[in-house]
Amino acid sequence: MSNVYSTICPGCNFGCGLYIRENGAIDIDFRKSSPANAGKLCRFGMNLPKLYAPVKSMIDGKEVTLEDAAKEAAKRISAGSTAFLSFGNTTCEELLAFQKVATSYLCTGVNFDALPKDTYQTLSVGIPYSEIEAAKHIVLFIDPYEQYPLIVRRLLSAKKKGAKITAVWWKALPIANETIKPADVSKLQLSKDSLIISDFHPMSDADQVKNVLALAKNAGARVTFLKPFANSTGAYILSKDAKQKSHGALVDDINKGTIKTLFCLESDPSILPAETLAKLTNIIVQSGSAISDKANIIIAHEPLYKKKGTLINNEGRAQALGGAGTNGLDALGIMAGAKFEFNALHESVKKAIGISTVDEFTVPKYDRPAYSAIQAAPKPFEAKTALVSVYNPFMWFNLADDNDFVELNLNTVRSLKLLKGGTLKIKSNGSSIEKKFKVAPVQDNVIISAKKFGIEKGMLTPVEILR
Amino acid sequence: MQKGEMYVGWSTKEDVRKRGGSGGLVTSMLAAALEKKLVDAVVVLKKINEFEAVPIITSDVNEVLNSAGSLHSVPSNFAKLIADRNLKVALPAKGCDTRAIIEQGKRNAINLDNTYIVGLNCGGSMHPVVTREMLEVMYKIKPEDVHGEEIEKGKLIFETKDGKEHAITIDELEEKGYGRRESCRYCTIKVPNNSDIACGNWGVTGDLAGKATFVEINSDKGAKLLQNAVDAGYVQVQKPDEKGVAMRAKIKGVMEDLGKKWKAKIFVPMDNRLEFFRKELENCIDCGACKTVCPTCSCGEVSKCTEFHMRGDAYKMSMYHLVRFTHLADACIGCGQCSDVCPVDIPLTRLYMMFANPIQEQLKYEPGMDMRKPPYFEVKLND
Repeated sequence: MSNVYSTICPGCNFGCGLYIRENGAIDIDFRKSSPANAGKLCRFGMNLPKLYAPVKSMIDGKEVTLEDAAKEAAKRISAGSTAFLSFGNTTCEELLAFQKVATSYLCTGVNFDALPKDTYQTLSVGIPYSEIEAAKHIVLFIDPYEQYPLIVRRLLSAKKKGAKITAVWWKALPIANETIKPADVSKLQLSKDSLIISDFHPMSDADQVKNVLALAKNAGARVTFLKPFANSTGAYILSKDAKQKSHGALVDDINKGTIKTLFCLESDPSILPAETLAKLTNIIVQSGSAISDKANIIIAHEPLYKKKGTLINNEGRAQALGGAGTNGLDALGIMAGAKFEFNALHESVKKAIGISTVDEFTVPKYDRPAYSAIQAAPKPFEAKTALVSVYNPFMWFNLADDNDFVELNLNTVRSLKLLKGGTLKIKSNGSSIEKKFKVAPVQDNVIISAKKFGIEKGMLTPVEILR
Repeated sequence: MQKGEMYVGWSTKEDVRKRGGSGGLVTSMLAAALEKKLVDAVVVLKKINEFEAVPIITSDVNEVLNSAGSLHSVPSNFAKLIADRNLKVALPAKGCDTRAIIEQGKRNAINLDNTYIVGLNCGGSMHPVVTREMLEVMYKIKPEDVHGEEIEKGKLIFETKDGKEHAITIDELEEKGYGRRESCRYCTIKVPNNSDIACGNWGVTGDLAGKATFVEINSDKGAKLLQNAVDAGYVQVQKPDEKGVAMRAKIKGVMEDLGKKWKAKIFVPMDNRLEFFRKELENCIDCGACKTVCPTCSCGEVSKCTEFHMRGDAYKMSMYHLVRFTHLADACIGCGQCSDVCPVDIPLTRLYMMFANPIQEQLKYEPGMDMRKPPYFEVKLND
């Protein structure tokens, strides 16, 4: 009476297992044996039915078959000036096929070009969660509650065993024993017993990433980078030898007019600025979930939970999706003019990871080469007040949430004479918005948001705030 | 057959008898209910491995016969799976499943007249991730090598594929932080006499030990269910011997006393409760999983706990939790589902029960144990 799929949450690269039940509507259920999350899900995971709204293949607003949409996409791509974007939100097998389609311009979104080559592996594959639980000193360059909530229980477990937790963040976090302002990062005391947890994603500031790498290197500390897409780790492992473009480079190339068509594989183009997207002739989206209303062509196939294939989580753990669908591969095959065989791709994936079988209960052994010393000098933030955008699954997927407010501290409320239940005016670069506010232990001259308002210029946006 | 009678029985199907727990009576009884159209659907666990099974609703007799049977490391609760579906259904149910089904019945989300509750004696269940770790740390065996498990005479026994048995006392395991989930330790409903028919291996003696199920009929529906299985040729039964009846009562008593001791140990009076609750809840990420999974909650998406709560509020304790504490005061059955799914490991069941225990004791009301109306359904001015 019900179809039940054993799957992985696409909200980030943590690798949370769950069941999806199809009973007319879509329901989530808890897969308590899942090694990454013990069946537990965050706020985004609990909202997955909203993400998995049905999607239909379309050409310029007209409903068509998947095959026709893929053929039309192939035709428009053949005109050239096409960029191929995939943040890594699909299976390794599909990403391998995608690479063959995207030889001319592969964009994974992240800026490897700005970072030393010998840090590639450190950035790509994180350390096992069990090592986080065993750490003596943990330094957070993330907000675990908003960004990667399933890491919280691992941190709590470490704390229970005596670990000290230091947050380098704009707000005091309940889990941290101490909080250091990001501007005061030089005061951070690290040792060989320290473990730094940061993240790496398309909006990451390369100087900041370099700084985190340098801090770890200089202290002999370990560092692990969490990532926001279901198969970010798999995408980076498989793209190691490919030329990858960053989100910034893609925006520049579209703005310059060298890219006219954007093909997005299971990736939401609205992560790019609206004014940039407006310059494109064609936006083609291949997806199993409704992620964009801006696309000229939508190639709609089964959602992630019905796909057959492999994901690699932050730890490097290979996880099998429980579905049987390969329509995504078929569509890519139409565009490549060749059929992609799942089994052959699957064997290539296993070879790339160095495993003989996909076993979610085993973390494969990865080389963790040391990287050379790094000169890092992050630019200080000049503006008086900053809007800190805390990138989280709802932002990456453009999914509505109960987060239409900013956080600020009581000093700011008093100095601006803000009224309880009232709003705050935020001005930036000629734009002005008005938002509700929440009083929280945030630093002075900082406002924090977990929602995209459309005025952001990266993680930190200079703003003026007033009543 | 009638309410109050006891039997010992087993499946007449050889493969079910061998594969199912305690002679496969429950599996065969459920299959017979479906086969003879006593019900339209049955809930079973579809086995994935020794530590994972997914509950499904099926109308396929073969799917029932091939189901997993009882697995101690699959701590699910079936009540919400069948709520709001208007099914004529039969399902296996531990004490906590049964209590939740009855509470859903009181809230009109389950039609109890159409629901055949096959109670399973339960000494407790284990979390699968904890079980895997326990096997490696305490038993020194690989989880993949496990072929089966059983609880007998206070010991948790794992059988490996090489045919060897590995046993450790549950006391020792729990001392080291393994073994049963916390809520199972203090649960005192070991034989679900609130179900239509209570089944288990306690009280099966002699040659039948391990090969048959002890059955106690608790309702007319329970009698109908068992009689149907016998008439359909799926199940054979005989009267239990006196020794078996006495042994079952003794085990039940011992287990209930143990539960009471755990309850006294865990729920100790404390000062400054407000600060304690606030601290325990400080890591909450507002995921709502505790409400979604709660088997006695029938409010749906629009409910007081969610409607009175905004993430933009800066209260020291969220309205969501405050409403749930009061809402669960006469409804929490201590099943442990909320603690299981909490992404930041808040011991929610313990917190809810800390709040509910004094109220349920004062009102002499145990949710899900009978059809008595929950006290907070109506509050009279002179109460």
